[in-house]
Amino acid sequence: MTRVESPMTRWPRLAAVLMLHAAFLAFLSGWPRADARAAEDTETLEQRVKAAYLYKFAGYIEWPAKSFSRSDTPVTIGVMGNELLAAELIQAVTGRTVNDRVVTVKRLKAGDSLAGIHVLFIGKTESARLNQLAQSAQPRSILTVTESDGALAHGSVINFVLNDGRVRFEIALDSAEKSGLKLSSRLLAVAQEVRTGMP
Amino acid sequence: MTRLENPAVAGHTSSAAHRPARTLTGALAVMVFVHGHTAELRVSDLADLSLEQLANIEVTSVSRRAERLADAPASIYVITNEDIRRSGVTSLPEALRLAPNLEVARTSASGYAITARGFNSTTANKLLVLIDGRSVYTPLFSGVFWDAQDVMLEDVERIEVISGPGGTLWGANAMNGVINVITRQAQATQGTVVNVGGGNLESGGSFRYGGRVAADGHYRVYGKFFDRENTERANGTEVPDAWHKGQIGFRADWGGASRSFTLQGDAYTGKLDQTQPGKTTIDGMNLLGRWFQRLAGGSDIRVQTYLDHTERDVPGTFREELDIFDLEFQQALPRAASHRILWGGGYRYARDRVQNSAVLAFLPADRNLDWANLFVQDEIRISETVEFTAGIKFERNDYTGWETLPSLRLAWKPYAYQLLWTALSRAVRAPSRLDRDLFVPGNPPFVLAGGPDFRSEIANILEVGYRGQPLSAVSFSITAFYHDYDHLRSLEPAPGGTCVSLAAPGNTCVLGNLIEGTSKGVEAWGAYQVMRAWRLSGGVVFLDLDLERKPGSLDPTGPVALGNDPAYQWQLRSSHNLTDKHELDILVRSIGALPGPDVPAYTAVDVRLGWRLIRDVELSLTLQNLFDSSHPEFGAPATRSEYQRGVFLKLSWRI
Repeated sequence: MTRVESPMTRWPRLAAVLMLHAAFLAFLSGWPRADARAAEDTETLEQRVKAAYLYKFAGYIEWPAKSFSRSDTPVTIGVMGNELLAAELIQAVTGRTVNDRVVTVKRLKAGDSLAGIHVLFIGKTESARLNQLAQSAQPRSILTVTESDGALAHGSVINFVLNDGRVRFEIALDSAEKSGLKLSSRLLAVAQEVRTGMP
Repeated sequence: MTRLENPAVAGHTSSAAHRPARTLTGALAVMVFVHGHTAELRVSDLADLSLEQLANIEVTSVSRRAERLADAPASIYVITNEDIRRSGVTSLPEALRLAPNLEVARTSASGYAITARGFNSTTANKLLVLIDGRSVYTPLFSGVFWDAQDVMLEDVERIEVISGPGGTLWGANAMNGVINVITRQAQATQGTVVNVGGGNLESGGSFRYGGRVAADGHYRVYGKFFDRENTERANGTEVPDAWHKGQIGFRADWGGASRSFTLQGDAYTGKLDQTQPGKTTIDGMNLLGRWFQRLAGGSDIRVQTYLDHTERDVPGTFREELDIFDLEFQQALPRAASHRILWGGGYRYARDRVQNSAVLAFLPADRNLDWANLFVQDEIRISETVEFTAGIKFERNDYTGWETLPSLRLAWKPYAYQLLWTALSRAVRAPSRLDRDLFVPGNPPFVLAGGPDFRSEIANILEVGYRGQPLSAVSFSITAFYHDYDHLRSLEPAPGGTCVSLAAPGNTCVLGNLIEGTSKGVEAWGAYQVMRAWRLSGGVVFLDLDLERKPGSLDPTGPVALGNDPAYQWQLRSSHNLTDKHELDILVRSIGALPGPDVPAYTAVDVRLGWRLIRDVELSLTLQNLFDSSHPEFGAPATRSEYQRGVFLKLSWRI
């Protein structure tokens, strides 16, 4: 096997590049230490953004009078099928209010009662139950929020979509109307897509 | 898409008491706006932002997404959209260098020799390549014309690279591997993106627009073009291989998780310089439809059909027009007891029209070929942690009739993040037109008179692998493989003739199947998330390919003609978000020497620096072969190209 250039001249250059890089990094970011949690955060930012959205949505919705029995009834957000998001949401709402109401988060499992819930988030893993959940949610004026492709067709009101690596959302106005919910025009303006349900 | 007039005050009403908090929010908002990377933001920070600001946060990151393929009992490497973007590559073959289990050798400005586990050549024939389910291998030689395959890389969701037999699902010609290029769905590529770039070796641009159609549909259209300079030989003379190509296409998706329909198509045209007078021209177009439905019983049905038309005109050598029609069907039955059954079938029809020349001829010039296949696969859950998959595919081709491809796989998952697997498979490479119909020269008397008795090449393959995430910051995959090959292509004398060389008249050779052998090796790769913003990854492959003539073979050249492969190759990659606005990627790859023809071992270093200038504008500088004035990767010393340092500056604008 012939070699045109001895590998001995390549390695010093390679080593120089790597050492330079390491020095640059050490200067910029402190001595690197293995961040054990970093690899777990593969989807964390996406779920954090969704949790922030969920908390904010409540401020752009008008529920019918029957949804809140008293002026100090908290806004309750139920999360089904997404533990990571539930954990982030609990952190997000700590110490915050929406329209002067405290916000609480409830973790729900399939079959749990939807009584007292104002916002229901249905995670990807529960997408098979979408139709049933949307049907139970509508008469209770619950804002259903999903994160599965095409979920609006199954009755949810707001659906998260990923576009060009960013979290956006689409709205089904007809489902909102069927649930007796009024959505602020500011919310509609930011939505990537608003469907009115007309063919 | 909403434009934001004043980020600091959007979407919130406030009283005087909240003003100091708003100023802080404003500062935070400006920081988020200007810096695309928000690696350190906590949810409490995000909750302070407005809806518009949340909508602009990029959630892709330098750490890998949770792999849905973590359970697959096969050697799979996934090249993500982020990997492609951060490497600064501008073509599909260059993107494939990122897979440690692929051999990628550049042969000219437009040509590549790509394979997995050996047998690399410009007509490498043991790899099946698909783009969104459309097979791009040509029945002319069971390989891929890499100059004709392109996608808009920015809209690629991922590239799955499977080394080893494709198993039941992919069929014949997936003997050593399968490459699956998957583009993003239309709903994930909305809006306008413009890319423009130029450098010392190439220049080009692309654009994409995505919008909505009908009630629940989305679409995108794209266009791309590029101009590539010619390469040079070791002595500095130019190789006349400059080329340019333009491509347009679209994709539309309707529906969602329980029912969806996709329609997509592309069209391209390109011109390549060549040594002989005239230019090679390539043209093609394709249209594909895919339908998915979840039935009431819980089973899934998938139907796909496509039309593919390609033309290739190589003045002085040959001209080809190929039309392909393909129809496939697949049903996944719901899990019943401990079984999960997948079955399906397909039909493929090709119309090949060749215009021969004096140099070589495919006879008959015009041929219609068809293939049919039927397969079934059962995933049996033997226990909580053990799953056994048995599959078989029956495939019929015009040359050899029915072939059988069985496959057995066992997967043991003792813990959530560790998988041990083993597989036993029989793979087949059915004859192509090159094996049966090739005559040299174009007119009698023929030195090579086709391969009238050429049969399918066979391989029996044993693999053992481990994939896991032993620590939360470390993921690792290793596979050991053993392939037993038989009936590989060889050059033999025609009955009653002699075959000493293809160059001298008087010889009469035919193609036969009298080479056999084994290959053994190890493929390993891993990633280490050093910090949230810094990831190191790498891979290595060792290959020992041992081929020999079978008893009775009179092949004058022997196994050397079947491929040229290195005994080892490794790569190391560093992906680092230096600041919220800057990213630095360094890729070092080292390929061992090739035995015949001799090509020296080389090590190449590529670097890419990315800057997010303002919210939706990114500038990147890619330097290739940084420490190399030039190096060759394939071919004989007298005629092969060498690749120089490359510089490429690119501007990406998301409107």
